[in-house]
Amino acid sequence: MHHRKAFTAVAVAAAVGLALTGCSGGGGSPEASGPVQLTVWTGFTGGDAPGYEQIVKDFNASQSKINVTMTAEPWDTIQQKLPSAWLTGQGPDIAAPAPDPNVIAQYVETKSVLPITKTGTGTTDINVDSFAPALVNEFTYDDTLYAVPANYATLSLYYNKALFQAAGISSPPTTVDELKADAKKLTNGDTYGLVLADNNTIQMWPVLQWLEGGDVVDSKNCSVLGTAEGKASLKPWVDLVVNDKISPVGLTGAEADALFSAGKAAMEINGPWAAPGYKSAGIDLGIAAVPKATNGKPVTLGSTAPLAISAKTKHPDEAQEFLAYWTGKAAQKTFSLASGFPSLRTDLADDPDLAADPVVSIFASQVPDSRLYLPQVPKGTQVDTDAYVPLIGNLTRGTSLDDATATASTTIDQITGCSS
Amino acid sequence: MSTLTRVRGPQTRPRAHRLRIPPAWLFIAPSFLILGVFVLWPILVSLWYSLHDWTIGADDQPWVGLDNYVALTQDAKFWGALLHTAEITVVSVVLIVILGLALALALSRESIGNRIIRSAFFFPTVVSLTSIGLVWRFLLDPELGLVGGIMSSLGLGTVGFLQSPELALPTVIFVNVWKNAGFVMIILIAGLKGVPTERFEAARLDGAGPWQLVRFVTVPALRPTLLFGTLIMTIQSFQLFDLVYVMTGGGPLFSTDTLVTLLYREGFVNFQTGYASAISWALFLVIVVISALQLRIFRYNDVD
Repeated sequence: MHHRKAFTAVAVAAAVGLALTGCSGGGGSPEASGPVQLTVWTGFTGGDAPGYEQIVKDFNASQSKINVTMTAEPWDTIQQKLPSAWLTGQGPDIAAPAPDPNVIAQYVETKSVLPITKTGTGTTDINVDSFAPALVNEFTYDDTLYAVPANYATLSLYYNKALFQAAGISSPPTTVDELKADAKKLTNGDTYGLVLADNNTIQMWPVLQWLEGGDVVDSKNCSVLGTAEGKASLKPWVDLVVNDKISPVGLTGAEADALFSAGKAAMEINGPWAAPGYKSAGIDLGIAAVPKATNGKPVTLGSTAPLAISAKTKHPDEAQEFLAYWTGKAAQKTFSLASGFPSLRTDLADDPDLAADPVVSIFASQVPDSRLYLPQVPKGTQVDTDAYVPLIGNLTRGTSLDDATATASTTIDQITGCSS
Repeated sequence: MSTLTRVRGPQTRPRAHRLRIPPAWLFIAPSFLILGVFVLWPILVSLWYSLHDWTIGADDQPWVGLDNYVALTQDAKFWGALLHTAEITVVSVVLIVILGLALALALSRESIGNRIIRSAFFFPTVVSLTSIGLVWRFLLDPELGLVGGIMSSLGLGTVGFLQSPELALPTVIFVNVWKNAGFVMIILIAGLKGVPTERFEAARLDGAGPWQLVRFVTVPALRPTLLFGTLIMTIQSFQLFDLVYVMTGGGPLFSTDTLVTLLYREGFVNFQTGYASAISWALFLVIVVISALQLRIFRYNDVD
């Protein structure tokens, strides 16, 4: 009788303990036999999601010692869960922590991510030398690589052929002056010429600034928004939005996309992930390179999401082997063809199959001229949310150029610790 | 026999002593354990975090004392968020309680029609704030939403309710009121059923008109229910997050930023855990003070 009571008490205590600590027996526990199980968390839920799923499927089919399970949740959820999950050893072996490459700095600081060491030129190595150099720099801290790019996207100019035709414009703009003129001409009571999102979006305004010869910060991470070039790069676009109403004010990325999908906007600067949605919305879709800047040179935004390995993974070698496969030539070619993304590898630039694909080729052709947004700027995410987004919001709602850029510059310099 | 009883006496006594732990404590022990682990412990830990420049997972968590709190007092975004939180709470609670009371008085009589109308008003309470936020956001989209469509077909032009820094906060408050008025209506109807009909009869015999009945009989009798409704709505409004996050994300230009969206951004986007914890303690203190004031105003302990 006593024994049974004691046993029951222990069982109840154990159950409560397990429930309280949230143990469910999952999360990378070593298998007695069979393949090594790797878990991957990502936030890839858009039109490009099937491309990533294909990489995982092909990897699992290509060998029998590692089995990868990938789950995709919204980026917000990943960003909330991952820091503590990795800290407590409950998290996945591999994760794409955020769509913002800057976020890796945070995980390096907390020693949550494993240095990538299995690099080389073999097919089971991570071919770092074949990646676009900007990507390697972005994920290197103190000469150590901490993540690999999960993808690399450039932004192109999407345009609605039917609206162009109706306005009597025969071809998409190729220079920034044509872009401005077309945006104005395509704006009428029903439609907006060039729809611009300024928050919760892939950055569109920095591209406009680059086109006009301006920038956000200099090499010392000090704001250059208040300089003559900085203001001159913002002014024409602010005027077009405020006076000529080429775009509604204060749009999120999703709202801008919805306007373009609904045929209420003639142009939008966006990444390859948007193409499937626009096509299924029935838009008579054209995709062109972002027009050339005022100095005659092409420029666009490049964007990448990092893939990093947990410092607490039990399978560091297998995890790196998977990343080698993900970023390898075969997987990347399949992925580009499935998703329309350009390749993150330079050795696929001249691939005939990719060059023949009308969508991939336009995005790929802009890779050499693409720039990352705030690369390796300390607290880059905060610079965006606390300074750049409010700057554009203020300007497009009528704040003077001098006041808005002065405020943004003070905030940026404070955040980055700029000391010019 | 007599020896037997003498022997048994002392044996049974300690048993009785052991059983003295009131069984009630054993029954509430699991709840206490869960509350302790999931509520009390995190509250205390967040206080500890707020005294550090805390980064989740870092080896070194530098002690900064009250620096985070000092920084709060100098942070314009904190004061802005506090002001918006106060505006949302005061305006929402007043409107919710007045509307809820008006609806309860109008719909307290049992009839099929009343029941249907009550259900319609109560329905938003059942739906999650996230869904409500998403639906309203879509309805209010100036270009593609229903409201914008109706307004432009009436020749009124479109209004960016959630894109305008002036209109975004009133819009969020409107949706918050729309969602919660039905809940307060239901609890007040329940309260009304408990008011003895003799009081109304007596008041009528004394010559009270309809307004006087409400003022001198209904409202005093409903005081505990009103207190409950006001308190719950106040705390809920102070903690408003889902609706703001989904509808505006705190924007445009931080015009709808509340203390909770601010602390979310500091904690989970900018990874300033220590600073975010300080914000949460500021919010906690505000709620404690307001709740104490409300209990005082409604004289909760006063026995009629």
